[in-house]
Amino acid sequence: MAEIIPEEITITDFAVREHRSLWGDAWRRLISSNTARLGMFIVALFVLSATFAHYFWEYEPKKDLDYSLKLKPPTLVANEEVPSVHIFGTDKLGRDIFRRVVHGGWNSLRVGIVAVGISLFFGGLIGLFSGFYENINMTFMERLFLFGLTGLMMGVLAAWIAAQPFQTFLLAGLGVAAAYFDDFYKGKPLRMVIFAIAGAVIITIPALFVGSTVALICGGWGLITGALLSRPLEGRFFSNVMMRLMDIVLSFPGYLLAIAIVAFLGPGLEKGMIAIGIVGIPVYARLTRSAVLAVTQKEYILAAQSVGEAHGRIIFRHVTPNILSPVIVQTTMGLANAILSAAALGFLGLGAIPPEPEWGAMLGDSYRYLTSGAWWAVLFPGLAIMFSVLGFNLLGDGLRDALDPKLRT
Amino acid sequence: MSRYIIRRIFSVIPTLIGVTFVIFMFQRLIPGDPAIAMLGEHATDESVERLREQFGLNRPLFLDRDALAEGDINGFFDSQYIRYMNRLFKLDMGESIHRRIPVTETLALRFPATIELSLLSMFIAIIIGIPVGIVSAAKRNTAIDGISMVGSLVGVSMPIFWLGLMEIMLFAVMLQWLPAGGRFSTGIEIKSFTNLYLVDSLLTGNLEGFKDAFQHIILPAIALATIPMGIIARMTRSSMLDVLQEDYVRTARAKGLGQSLVLFRHALKNAALPVVTIIGLQMGTLLAGAVLTETIFSWPGIGRWVYDAILGRDYPIVQGGTLVIALVFVGVNFLVDIAYALLDPRIRYD
Amino acid sequence: MNPILEIKNLKTRFFTTDGVVKAVNDVSYSMEDDEILGVVGESGCGKSVHALSIMQLVPDPPGKITNGEIFFEGRDLLKLSEKEMRTVRGRDIAMIFQDPMTSLNPVFTVGFQLVEALRLHNDITKGDARKRAGELLSLVGIPGAENRLNDYPHQFSGGMRQRAMIAMGLSCEPKLLIADEPTTALDVTIQAQIIDLVKRLQDELGMAIMWITHDLGVVAEMADHINVMYAGSIIETGKVRDIYKNTKHPYTMGLLGSLPRLNDPPGVELISIPGLPPDLIALPKACTFAARCSYRNEKCLAERPPLEKTEGSDHAVACWRWEEIAGTK
Repeated sequence: MAEIIPEEITITDFAVREHRSLWGDAWRRLISSNTARLGMFIVALFVLSATFAHYFWEYEPKKDLDYSLKLKPPTLVANEEVPSVHIFGTDKLGRDIFRRVVHGGWNSLRVGIVAVGISLFFGGLIGLFSGFYENINMTFMERLFLFGLTGLMMGVLAAWIAAQPFQTFLLAGLGVAAAYFDDFYKGKPLRMVIFAIAGAVIITIPALFVGSTVALICGGWGLITGALLSRPLEGRFFSNVMMRLMDIVLSFPGYLLAIAIVAFLGPGLEKGMIAIGIVGIPVYARLTRSAVLAVTQKEYILAAQSVGEAHGRIIFRHVTPNILSPVIVQTTMGLANAILSAAALGFLGLGAIPPEPEWGAMLGDSYRYLTSGAWWAVLFPGLAIMFSVLGFNLLGDGLRDALDPKLRT
Repeated sequence: MSRYIIRRIFSVIPTLIGVTFVIFMFQRLIPGDPAIAMLGEHATDESVERLREQFGLNRPLFLDRDALAEGDINGFFDSQYIRYMNRLFKLDMGESIHRRIPVTETLALRFPATIELSLLSMFIAIIIGIPVGIVSAAKRNTAIDGISMVGSLVGVSMPIFWLGLMEIMLFAVMLQWLPAGGRFSTGIEIKSFTNLYLVDSLLTGNLEGFKDAFQHIILPAIALATIPMGIIARMTRSSMLDVLQEDYVRTARAKGLGQSLVLFRHALKNAALPVVTIIGLQMGTLLAGAVLTETIFSWPGIGRWVYDAILGRDYPIVQGGTLVIALVFVGVNFLVDIAYALLDPRIRYD
Repeated sequence: MNPILEIKNLKTRFFTTDGVVKAVNDVSYSMEDDEILGVVGESGCGKSVHALSIMQLVPDPPGKITNGEIFFEGRDLLKLSEKEMRTVRGRDIAMIFQDPMTSLNPVFTVGFQLVEALRLHNDITKGDARKRAGELLSLVGIPGAENRLNDYPHQFSGGMRQRAMIAMGLSCEPKLLIADEPTTALDVTIQAQIIDLVKRLQDELGMAIMWITHDLGVVAEMADHINVMYAGSIIETGKVRDIYKNTKHPYTMGLLGSLPRLNDPPGVELISIPGLPPDLIALPKACTFAARCSYRNEKCLAERPPLEKTEGSDHAVACWRWEEIAGTK
């Protein structure tokens, strides 16, 4: 029998698949889905046609007017009655609807990008910080900052009532002191008593120079402030305050708030963008926060903390990359929503100002002619809205499937 | 359970205060003097002053520090905001600037119209959306699944004002099957207690009235239902898919349960949680969407009323209407939280 | 004695977007009606999938049983209709799963879930079923069983949930109980209790048990026979004694070598198996273990060895060189 000597083996791993990056993998899954490809195609068509039309196909809405061509149905070849070709027909001012639909894309694109940009920037930051500090203890400096800022904001009211601006800094100082002497009677009721009295005293004394009633009210406010500052306010406090604010904004359903904001800002596409952007902030804040909450419970965050990385670095180096998937999906779908909301505003006459070509406004302009049979003036701008929105939604849907490893089969 | 409800009630209160605050601020931040808006450009200074006095517009917004400096603590708190809140507690929302009718009076007439439309739309969205979602999940990756999911995505992407217009064109103008707007035809009488015409006509046995009211409501209801329908179907599907790969579904199958019991008993109750949440949130879409649908279908609800008021700068109406919509929305989501606890013992026993 | 379960050439595949995962490859074995069979292997070796295949609970899509026969009491389960199969599940063959935390439905009471199983296969009233459910809970050692029927799973501890799962599995007195890593998710002390419980129940109720685990220590204690699985195939099978004392396959040796023993002299290093199991999508033509095997030669890399009987009557091994390796020891 041949002798067998166990040889030192090198691992040949002849059956291991080639390495693929996370994003490469996601991209491969994305383009393998029919619906996602359709979405990409629609979005690309929409973006390219809008951009090319804006830069290479001149259009001056203010000069576009020809009553002789008023409300002509779509034609594919020129005839005697209508000497020019209008594949989508013309509207009540004899304007070519095809041209306006293509140019309208530019406005929708702008609204989408600006509005989502506003929502994403503010909502993302709020969600990132409130989610992070919800679970992670603040450092000493951060606590100084939080308490100081809380004191400062509370102090504004006292300072205003007593007309003594320096009171702001008194309460800010009290906040910093509360953070600095963190261990002072920690967890005991006495701590609250001491800080409440301290708050009342430092506010009442200067206020006495104004009047006794003023001092009374200010003192009461100082008492409340002191008591609040004696609490171990952690990141959770900041997170709670932020989420309550977001809840309030969210209590106004859909774009009702956007309508209200535009109603007060006055009509105009730019104001519409801002309004839609503001309304979207809580959506992104909540989404980001819940994604961050999930991430901060992962071991690698603990690992980063244990090697002493600064919080800012953890937030941007470790947390942010790991919450990108849901944010990317939401952003794509958010573009769809923003386009839809802008069209709704335009339809109500609160968005783009005529004669600016904007799909919603075009619908709002033309729907009264529907009963006289001018269906083309309503059909085509509406289809444009629907398809561009559908394109972003399909893409977002595909992105969700591609980026969410949970659904892998 | 009761502790859970009480805790939820307390967490709603700050939100409600915030909502009233935002609405109050909206009215006060707009450019222009409401008193002049009420009396017109040519009003005399005295009459403007009198009106300002009458409506408390001469008071400070939140707190009167000058009164305090003079030692008047009551005067300190006597501000526009406090008066506004006081009136709200007495259900007084002021009166329309143009029409001089109390806002609450018009609200009582128009609010049921919006609620009727929204509830019917939600009903349509649920009875179609949930089964479609369940079937899609059960037949995952088949043609049925693909068609219904792309279909529901089209629903989600639908500009409802456009869909409404297309409906009018097809069913009212071209086919002439259904009316293009309003709540009922002239000549039809519906005795009304609640202003919910569908309910009232049924209660009084007025079948002709019911038919007419239904013919009027169905087009706007379908237009309004498309977006929630799509969203509910998609949420039901993804939630069911999540649940169907849970271990306890495998356990249920291992016991020998058939597909329908597994789907409808073991999976659906678990999958219902996110669906209920999304239904609550979609109530908001419906209430806001009412502004659009009601405009197109001349539906006399609060959506169109608020929209007209925005254009006419009739602020008490804007304020009252927005507040009511926001309150309904907050209320619905409160109910959703309660439903959550009923569905999930882990929350109930928390 | 009659074999209660006989599996022939079972193949289970998962058709994924990345390719076809060959999860179970030509598995054949049989099981007596009162034995405890241990199925051992690393995670991903196909041991759970093969058990799910017996129950026909492989998630479809993407999974499919592409070949083979599974005879249970002489009937081929794969030829049964879904409806007939449902009467087998739970009544004839019961299965309990790895994670008791997620295996009970969180929105129904434990009592409801037990009664549901009982009433599905027995024609009994609700009241009787509830009484029986209480008895079952006491049988598996849950104190105050009657009162705990109205509890929800989240009110149970992990060990108690696994006991409740076992009670559910035993509710219709199955002839075969498949336990898929039932103790892996539990604390070591609870593990021992559950193992004792199952051994006691087998004595009392007399059924066949298939115990799936990656823990050789556990099966050594309780099993009669052991199947060692690697990359979807059985690579060694035999009586417990043979597997432990007369190990033939280099992989089994490696598994045993990586197990610490109390009587090891201090300083003895545990042997670990280098490398990783092969990708089940791209299984090599070679012996699936060859890449990690220190005994491999040209033949091992060229052809896959069949499961071959050794001198012992039911000890079989899938290795080209088992005789040579045995000679060197």
